[in-house]
Amino acid sequence: MMLFPAPKEHQSRLDGLQLAAVLALIAISVAFVYSATAASEAGANLAWHRHTYFRQIIWFSLGLGSAAAVCLIDYHILSRWSLVIYWGSILTLVVVLIPGLGSSHHGAGRWIEFGGIQLQPSEFAKLAFIMAQAHYLSRPVDELRQLRIFWSAIGLMVLPFLLIMKEPDLGSGLVLLPTGITMLYSAGAPGRYLGRLLTIGGLATLLVLADLLFAPPRFQVVKIHDYQKSRLLVYFGLDYASYAGRDITPAERQRLREKQFNASLNVRQSLIAVGSGGLGGKGWRQGQQNGLGFLPQASKHNDFIFSVIAEEKGFIGSVTILTLYAVILFTGIRIAGQARDRLGKLLAVGVVTLLFSHIFINIGMNIRIMPVTGVPLPLLSYGGSSVLCSLIAIGMLQNVHIYRKAY
Amino acid sequence: MKQIQYRRRLLIALLLGVAYAGLAYRLVDLQVLRRENLQAEVWTNTHHVFQLEPRRGDILDSRGNMLATSAFVKTVCADPSLLGDHAPEVAHLLAPVLGMNEAELGLRLAPRARQTDAGDTVTNRYVVLKHKVPLDVWQRAKETMTNFPSNIVGRLPTKKEIAFYRALRYSAIFADPVDDQLRSYPNGQLAAHVLGSVGVAEHSDVHGTFINTVGLDGVEAVFDKQLSGTRGWRVTERDGHRRERVELREENVEPRDGLNLVLTIDSVIQGILETALAEANEKEKPLSISGIVMRPKTGEILGFANLPTFDPNHLDHTTDTQRRNRLISDFHEPGSTFKIVVISGALNDNLVHLGDRFNCEMGRFSFAGHTLHDSSPHGELSVSGIIMKSSNIGAAKVGILMQKPRLDQYMRDFGFGAPTGIRLPGETPGLMPHEWTKVSIAQIPMGQGVAVTSIQMTMAMAALANKGVLMRPMLVDRLVDAGGNVVARYPPVTARRVISETAAKDMVEALKTVVGPDGTAVRATLEHYTVAGKTGTAQKVPYSANKWYASFVGFFPADNPEVCIYIAMDEPHGPSHLHQGGQVCAPVFKQVAEKVASYLNVRPDKGIDLPGSEGTNGQGIKTVAYRTP
Repeated sequence: MMLFPAPKEHQSRLDGLQLAAVLALIAISVAFVYSATAASEAGANLAWHRHTYFRQIIWFSLGLGSAAAVCLIDYHILSRWSLVIYWGSILTLVVVLIPGLGSSHHGAGRWIEFGGIQLQPSEFAKLAFIMAQAHYLSRPVDELRQLRIFWSAIGLMVLPFLLIMKEPDLGSGLVLLPTGITMLYSAGAPGRYLGRLLTIGGLATLLVLADLLFAPPRFQVVKIHDYQKSRLLVYFGLDYASYAGRDITPAERQRLREKQFNASLNVRQSLIAVGSGGLGGKGWRQGQQNGLGFLPQASKHNDFIFSVIAEEKGFIGSVTILTLYAVILFTGIRIAGQARDRLGKLLAVGVVTLLFSHIFINIGMNIRIMPVTGVPLPLLSYGGSSVLCSLIAIGMLQNVHIYRKAY
Repeated sequence: MKQIQYRRRLLIALLLGVAYAGLAYRLVDLQVLRRENLQAEVWTNTHHVFQLEPRRGDILDSRGNMLATSAFVKTVCADPSLLGDHAPEVAHLLAPVLGMNEAELGLRLAPRARQTDAGDTVTNRYVVLKHKVPLDVWQRAKETMTNFPSNIVGRLPTKKEIAFYRALRYSAIFADPVDDQLRSYPNGQLAAHVLGSVGVAEHSDVHGTFINTVGLDGVEAVFDKQLSGTRGWRVTERDGHRRERVELREENVEPRDGLNLVLTIDSVIQGILETALAEANEKEKPLSISGIVMRPKTGEILGFANLPTFDPNHLDHTTDTQRRNRLISDFHEPGSTFKIVVISGALNDNLVHLGDRFNCEMGRFSFAGHTLHDSSPHGELSVSGIIMKSSNIGAAKVGILMQKPRLDQYMRDFGFGAPTGIRLPGETPGLMPHEWTKVSIAQIPMGQGVAVTSIQMTMAMAALANKGVLMRPMLVDRLVDAGGNVVARYPPVTARRVISETAAKDMVEALKTVVGPDGTAVRATLEHYTVAGKTGTAQKVPYSANKWYASFVGFFPADNPEVCIYIAMDEPHGPSHLHQGGQVCAPVFKQVAEKVASYLNVRPDKGIDLPGSEGTNGQGIKTVAYRTP
């Protein structure tokens, strides 16, 4: 088992393998963001610097710069600021919710205007949360047995979760939970506390789902947006019309059916795109589902970028992507194993879990094993906040690696 | 403690691995195992086959006048589920535009629910409102829907309402994507029995189900394949908004339009014939009246009409009686016109000569236990006289002289007992006597005991005009493409020589006397042309009923015939109580012949001073200037 090898005498300052995987993903990202947007931007006569792929390159440059900056400062020093960063990001999450300050698209207020650039505070909040949680949990293991400490850690997780859910951004909120719980588990929190927590949480989730999906309208306690509900219904393969009550007219029923068809269309089309790629794919920029616009137009260069790659590069392409992510994740775990102290371990575990949750949810929704939620694919999806945060997260991993056991 | 943390990290790594395996399994499933199905789905997703309808060819007369033409029309359909509760208003607005009954339209627009096999209730989303809607009417219907008034007053519509009205205005009423076409006959009833009619037939192939226009009758049916053309198609890719991507077209096969059919019919002559028939119809009130105008030298049919007739534009208002093409599908005992068969045969066989005299027994002749009658008693008549006076007894005696085998042979040679091969559906061969009794040899020569069609009788007479050579009737001259290039020609076809030229010449001499002062068809006399012809007045079976089939068939100028005309009436019972061919049909012949002769500029052969040579030069149709005396 090479996951946690004994430290060698002469090691490079950076984890080269992980860095190579990251750079490869960046190159792939630029190529396929270009492929996904070329068809719709070709006719738009945009200036060269306004093309999406070019903006992505800018974001990557900024991200790599931020990552380098993060690497320069010992994570111990960074960690001292973690609570400031945490509460700062909580503040931005609150600001987003205030009408007039946050800007909203498609009915979700997730963005904040910052000098002409829109940023998604929820992305940064995830990092802030990891730092704060790692800092909080890095105390001696025995203290974690105290219920007060345990519940404080849970509270640290639940606060940004609730705020992000309020935006609403279900996907971004949900990734906090596995991240937080894995960090708790990894920090050595008592197993029975965690077991109870998971049991209660699981039961509550089941109850909420049952309420959403099967209860008649007036008994639905949990209120979620229509589009969220329809995504859930699509995922569970349920009929819209059966939720509209008995007394709807046939015309309304027909319209609901159509709506459902349209809603499930995105999922179906991305499934078709992935599958039709076959072994070798159709070739870069040759995907019909991509080029002719059968993949969701608005999100094929971010949330559905995996479908584009899978269609155009086939099984080989998607396995390459998974392998590159595996390299990042397992080098991340290795970094956790080699970290100098609990703080470093927890930081690394947090970042790895966060990245993994994103990867699993996003690829999962592209191949229909997860419901559609707006979770970006780290390092591949287009989007400033996502790219910046993913690279800063990588920077934190490298930081832990650089300042590992001092010999 | 270290141990626990190490174990926990291992477990996390393991969980990660398991989740990864899940993703990988799903990818193998999709991209390796199911790739062919999903690739096929992409094909159906993006590809679309458009069907391109060919235009049905026109039918033209010999001068290029349009007899039948096709125009593309729309099938107007509706999606009742988009109408909401506006169905009655839509019906009210569209009914006058589409020319439909408002109540009926409202009924069609009302949404209908049905249960699917899965037990779900779905409403119908496709209903045909009207077939064959001309383009301008469809445009107006579309305009009407686009301007459909909203019933929201005094407030702004909600997003939902805006979407509803958009769907109502632009999508609820639509035209079927595959164009239909409307066959129209600009001249109405003119030449209806030649043209026939069209109907629709459903046709399914790998590309789907289509409604095709097919010929039902007339040349529309016989030349259906040539007129229909060939369907084209276009395989193309469409994007997510169902817009065609022209640069990705894979196949684009233009439809090949149907060929235009040029008939030998001349619509002016057809008009002359139909007018004359209609006038005679008023006067003599027959069950039916029919006529043919043709050129004996080629067999070209210039006019071809039956009354009662029909308008092929409105086929659903017609009856079988109107649609029946009596000239080819009805057969009847011909009566005296049939005497030309036995007499010309006997002349051809040199059994008799024009001058030979026969005793006509003063109108009563007993033979084989039957008594034959003449309409008026005659003593001795020459062979020419038998034709002129139309003596049954004389003809019978010539028949007896000829004997059965030769008579049978001549009947068949003249084309009786077999279809003439006119290119129209429903032609009958007539009835040849299947059992010759003793009296047959005396009855058949006078046109009893045998049943023939009008076209057969006309062609037989035309054979005498054409120096003894029987032609095939010719109805179609050529097929041309849209550019006017001739694709196929249908030249005159000689069936066979029936009698010698000399015999034919003698026969023409005899037939001239029929239209002479002592003949049975004085009323067919033309001022400027010598006419040769024969009357026929057959008593319909049963003979006791006193019902008659009267006919006259003749041609002119007798020595160089340009036109042969056949006129027949079934059961004339006009106020004058006339029923003989010479009385009721000969005047119609005269009326048609005079107009046709002047229209065709046929060179007169009597009653005027002819410049140039005395005899005909065999080119009688030339437009030579002449002066009336």
